Amino acid sequence: MTRVVITGMGIISPVGNSCEEFFDNLAAGRSGIKKMSWDFADRLSVKISAEVDFDVEAYFSKKTARTLDRVSQFAMVAASQAWQDAAIQLPEKEQKRAGVYLGTGMGGARTLEESYVQLLKQNVKRLHPLTVVMVMNNAAASYISMTHRLKGPCLTYSTACSSSAVAIGEAFRQIKHGYADVMLAGGTESLLTFGIFMSWESIGTLALEAEDPSTSCRPFSKDRSGFVLGEGSAILVLESLDRAKKRGARIYGEVIGYGSTADADHITKPSVEGQADAMRAALEEARISPDDIDYINAHGTATVANDAVETKAIKEVFGQRACHIPVSSTKSMHGHLLGAAGAVELVAAVLALNKRIVPPTANLMVPDPECDLDYVPGKARTGLDLKVVMSNSFAFGGTNAVLIVRKHE
Amino acid sequence: MTTTLERIKKLFLENFDFPEERLRPEATIESIGLDSLDKIEFLFALEKEFDIKIPDREVKLDSIQDIIDVVERLVMEQHAEQRQSV
Repeated sequence: MTRVVITGMGIISPVGNSCEEFFDNLAAGRSGIKKMSWDFADRLSVKISAEVDFDVEAYFSKKTARTLDRVSQFAMVAASQAWQDAAIQLPEKEQKRAGVYLGTGMGGARTLEESYVQLLKQNVKRLHPLTVVMVMNNAAASYISMTHRLKGPCLTYSTACSSSAVAIGEAFRQIKHGYADVMLAGGTESLLTFGIFMSWESIGTLALEAEDPSTSCRPFSKDRSGFVLGEGSAILVLESLDRAKKRGARIYGEVIGYGSTADADHITKPSVEGQADAMRAALEEARISPDDIDYINAHGTATVANDAVETKAIKEVFGQRACHIPVSSTKSMHGHLLGAAGAVELVAAVLALNKRIVPPTANLMVPDPECDLDYVPGKARTGLDLKVVMSNSFAFGGTNAVLIVRKHE
Repeated sequence: MTTTLERIKKLFLENFDFPEERLRPEATIESIGLDSLDKIEFLFALEKEFDIKIPDREVKLDSIQDIIDVVERLVMEQHAEQRQSV
């Protein structure tokens, strides 16, 4: 088995468009959740979101920008950041041993929604000729493979909110089992559109707007009311340990475990068993015991159901130790990035490992007897000796994905 | 009045990233560096700009001059129809 390490990371997020800025904001407890500015807000009852501040022209020529849905723009920029961060060179003979796995919930749904408006409201005679390639779920991964000449496997996973955790886990195994030496892996999402907000509003999982909008998402707090929709992308460079060592690459950590399970029970209701089994499977692959985990970046959506179920699942897996592991939900600050959430949160966990800082769960002010772990409320914890971190991602549809990363020493 | 060539030039510059001096009437689409997908995209922009419908696959559009001719013909035909039908 080949050992797999993380040698580069890139991020576009509601709390920053670089890893430094992203983590500094999380550690300071600063939220990217704001009141929305779009006209359609008038027709929504929840008028908050976690939007990315993104200057398209800084990254793309006008022609290129017009031919890419925002979801692909995010991913291409995050991928380039990660590639540069890894300072990696890929000679032609290695291109077939390099690939890209991305996760996205709904890909270019923004373009699709805009197209329907043109078609049904404006009665246009023709849709833009690139509509198909802008909407398709695999566009982002394909553009990344073209940019960085990655000629090995190029796949897109769509398992709702665990999409990018699945993509990273599967990419890890491509290298581990010898099918590739380098993989770009992560996720991207950009669904802050009228139709999508209306859909989420109807299913009833969005946070109510707080007096201070930035505090609306309150994971594990008794007064939690749901999540805030966010957008963005995070992408990591995974590389075989041998290759990374040979070229003297900086190593953020070693991916050692991935657990993937299906609840096989209910389309939206989370399952203690499904979540716990995913954590156990990841621990088993990592060949470590529950005692070895030093931090958990929770799925922590701040829905009433998720946070109670995830707490139970953690207690089932970790037993007595559960109360002694810092567990935080950074969704309280960056919002829920859906298909990109797993990747964004893994970046948060890996940076926690490297900077020895556990980011807090913001806005946890009212304890809930059903959520009785150490959620690092309000304030980051610094100077911790972290060796192994876990990142949880669960999803509508019931696909659970858990990733474990160990410090490389 | 703005000529058809000027409007086409403007469209090119809005849609693609290449220098204006290459856009001479005799220049071929290929020599400008448009691939098949770019060409379809440009036809779409032409339809919007001139409010015409370019019949699929039927017209010869190898050079900028071809585009000017086709656009001018279609504008005459299609806008005349519109005037009559009003």
